[in-house]
Amino acid sequence: MAKVMEPVGAVVVGTGAAGSLMAAVLAEAGKDVLVLERGHARKMEDLYSSQTWARRLKWGSPAVIEEGPDSIWYNFNAGHGYGGASIHHYAVWPRYHEDDFEVQSRYGHSLDWPFGYDELRPYYDQVQEEVGMSGDAEKETWRPPGAPYPLPPVLVSNHGNVLARGFEVMGMHTAPIPMAVLSRPYKGRPACIWDGWCDAGCPIGALANPLAVYLPRATKAGARLQPDAHVTRVLMDKSGKRATGVEYYTPEGEAVIQPADTVVLCAFSIENARILLNSADGNNPNGVANSSGTLGQYLMSHPAVGINGLFDDDMQNYLGATGGQLLCQDVFDKNGDPGGAFGSRQWEIGLALKPNDLLGIAMSRPDIFGARLHDFMVDGARHMGSMVGVCEDEAQAGNRIELASQKDAFGFPLAKIVYKTSDSGNGLWRTAAEEGVKLFKAAGAREAWHGPKGGQHIMGGTIMGKDPARSVLNGHGQAHDVENLFLAGPGVMPTSSSINSTFTAKAVAMKSARYMVENWAALSS
Amino acid sequence: MKLTRRSFVDRAFKGSLLALTFKVGGATVLLTPEEARAQSVPLNNLSTSQAARLGILAEALVPGARELGVVHFIDHQLGEDPNEALLIAKYFGVALPYVNFYTTGIEIAASLAQDKLGKPMEELDAAQLEQLIGLMAPPGTVVDGFPIFLFNMCLRSDGVDVVYGTPDGFAKLNVPYMQHILPPEGWNG
Repeated sequence: MAKVMEPVGAVVVGTGAAGSLMAAVLAEAGKDVLVLERGHARKMEDLYSSQTWARRLKWGSPAVIEEGPDSIWYNFNAGHGYGGASIHHYAVWPRYHEDDFEVQSRYGHSLDWPFGYDELRPYYDQVQEEVGMSGDAEKETWRPPGAPYPLPPVLVSNHGNVLARGFEVMGMHTAPIPMAVLSRPYKGRPACIWDGWCDAGCPIGALANPLAVYLPRATKAGARLQPDAHVTRVLMDKSGKRATGVEYYTPEGEAVIQPADTVVLCAFSIENARILLNSADGNNPNGVANSSGTLGQYLMSHPAVGINGLFDDDMQNYLGATGGQLLCQDVFDKNGDPGGAFGSRQWEIGLALKPNDLLGIAMSRPDIFGARLHDFMVDGARHMGSMVGVCEDEAQAGNRIELASQKDAFGFPLAKIVYKTSDSGNGLWRTAAEEGVKLFKAAGAREAWHGPKGGQHIMGGTIMGKDPARSVLNGHGQAHDVENLFLAGPGVMPTSSSINSTFTAKAVAMKSARYMVENWAALSS
Repeated sequence: MKLTRRSFVDRAFKGSLLALTFKVGGATVLLTPEEARAQSVPLNNLSTSQAARLGILAEALVPGARELGVVHFIDHQLGEDPNEALLIAKYFGVALPYVNFYTTGIEIAASLAQDKLGKPMEELDAAQLEQLIGLMAPPGTVVDGFPIFLFNMCLRSDGVDVVYGTPDGFAKLNVPYMQHILPPEGWNG
């Protein structure tokens, strides 16, 4: 027998980039908000400066079964506990370009969004001002229109300056990377000290993770946070058209029903889809919000390539932010690939390096071991350069989230991912890998190489669209089928661009939250 | 003893950021893996022979890893909640529980030593150990359906964690650790 709680106005599932923002906006508008988080509670002082300890922030369980030829690197990209994946994100926040919203109608590839850049622009501007972004809008010649950044650019050390040489030699240009990291004190938060521990979580709050900005705002406005609440289903009324709340389980295995006027799922791309698929009932046999049959489809991940090289210069590669120092989007033209692959690319240049972990010095050459390893580590610690090429992935219906035959501790099917990088994405990746090595050589590297294909960011699975027959959500993030059910996060995005997803996910969440506030009476009645 | 922020940082300033809670004589104490090894703290998830072989492989991959307690580090983490685990195997979608991944990897490495090099792993010299790793390391290498290359890569990373991922490790590389302290003037331009 499930325990039934007192009803709330809005139950938000997830405390990450989207959930924290939704909770803050709704609570500040006077709504009664409860935020459920599957993982543990977490405070700033729990964020240790260590790449080894940083792995506590990444997803571990319940398992997500990955099938198909390629991986989306779920455990590395996802998170758990307060802050979700956003607690370990690198805060590289460029904007989507205008054409990223009209990829189908302009180019005949992927999908269209239900709105254009102009409609989202004010929300980009609002979020940017609220969290405090650093950058130089004028130097980003590729940047779509928008308010200038409130703060000057992030640190550029020798690392960035040396690598920029290569871009200059090859006729390309760079700009300070736009980041949600404070280059100056801002709204009571301190400036970054450029220690390169972003991946381990920023305990001083210079990086705009949820613990630094939106969760404190949410709780100050009265939102309540409930950790260790494993949401399993959205509960529906007898009509099958209205959500009545959610079901969750405590770590002790107790089932709890949380009634709510509105339900907001912000549990990241995979878990949002899994919850809705697991919510199937007599009225919604294929899952809630799935009359279109597209729930789980159009899963995307950015094919990414790491470039590393050794220089004679003292690179100061231990300084800066994990996400880099400079950005280049000269290669963003979706029809610009020399091999004919469709889609955009970008370079994130001068990532702060640590000795260990997936993006660290040692892992850049996993073939070196034994006595040679120490010499390589010593050389790399002073002389290694690093950058990442990020490529667009096409939206494909066959890339999807399904329910697996395996079940979690509470008896609910796990998520299964079937994913293959688009042919275009693979083509762009090959171009980037070759170009990156050339750029390093042009910058003066005595040795340069690229890593294997990785997957950055996870988008799609619960996409927005104008047509209810071909999408899960409308342009407000509202389920076509269920008026009082909203979703937010990168899962709602119908195209991937080659742009890091968090800023756009935040802007879309802000748009949805404002819509909910403005239409609250109708939604909650 | 509960691992608190304060005790953690205290340990950090003593030179390691891998202080973990171990059971010693019925009491829970905070030790680095190196200290746990030196005190012969009993292992909870690996047998004596598995631990010995794991130590041989880790040392061959990352010199210094065995003395710094890589085996105790791994054994400790194999008992953790997967969400709290510090092993890089977490990133690669390794099936739970992780202990199966490690014990299978050790078993296959031992079989390769015997089958391909004609000796138990414990009797291989340095050159032969290098050969053994050469058999395991090439990307995509699978033995009996098991991704031995992934095991090799993860174990190498575990070794790097204990040897280079701590303040002592950074010092070996002559780079500043830079915990969250006030920045020197002028860094911010």
